[in-house]
Amino acid sequence: MTNGNATPTFADAPEELPDAQAQNLEENQRSEGPSRRGHSRRQRQQQPQDEQPFYEGDERAQEALQFVSTVLQQMGMECRARLCRPREEEEQGQLPEIVVEVYGRDSGRIIGKRGQVLAALQFLTHRAVNRPTIDRRHVVVDAEGYRLRRESTLATMAQRLGQQAVDEGKIITFEPMNPRDRRVVHLALAKFEGVITKSEGEGDERRVQIIPVRR
Amino acid sequence: MALKELVETVARALVDEPDQVEVRQIEGEHHSLVELKVAKGDIGKVIGKDGKTAQSMRMLVAAASQKMGRRTHLDIID
Repeated sequence: MTNGNATPTFADAPEELPDAQAQNLEENQRSEGPSRRGHSRRQRQQQPQDEQPFYEGDERAQEALQFVSTVLQQMGMECRARLCRPREEEEQGQLPEIVVEVYGRDSGRIIGKRGQVLAALQFLTHRAVNRPTIDRRHVVVDAEGYRLRRESTLATMAQRLGQQAVDEGKIITFEPMNPRDRRVVHLALAKFEGVITKSEGEGDERRVQIIPVRR
Repeated sequence: MALKELVETVARALVDEPDQVEVRQIEGEHHSLVELKVAKGDIGKVIGKDGKTAQSMRMLVAAASQKMGRRTHLDIID
């Protein structure tokens, strides 16, 4: 796969700026808020102009990026989109997921109330990229790390509840969740000793269950 | 107004016959109406299971309208 710094897009541009300007830019990005906290110092030093490395992706990922970019522009939103490296290790034989990240001043509008606009954009992007006859690809559309933060909270909670299921020997059932969130729980507990996870129920009532098992 | 183009872009990306996608926008003082027409066989694709696709398109249209300080209604015509 392509290395982040090999991508000849505007990620490289700040390097050509005079030092003072480049520094200014760096500072602006630092003050962008708490959303980027998760990144290591090392990464920050290597990529001062952009803490998340650019990622080129394949043709279908480019197609997804193109779709999101066009939609953002036609919505009149002051923000842009870029591709990110897939967040999860894919199981063998599976195509890597496509991750599109929205950033810029209107990101809040793109997230919307409780992430509703973001969910809609992700759903439509998924639809646009996954035509009926071709292999299905997971598509994630995030904005300023919103989904990533939410998912890591959910994964932490899943592991805590997984431990509780083991300790108490009881089945723990979640609230109904969307497929993506259920997937987060399943993945968070996939390698967790002593429990299995299952989804029960149909449609909007589908819930994840954490079931303790004897080793 | 870019909302017409927005609906066109999204609809064309979803249907089998993108050339048959027709979008009309009617402007009121504070409200707009966007009418989407697609090929007969594609209606299901722009509505989606339980109307989820239509609902998602309306969500984007609403977010974009809000920024412009307007309200927009999206109609799918058959």
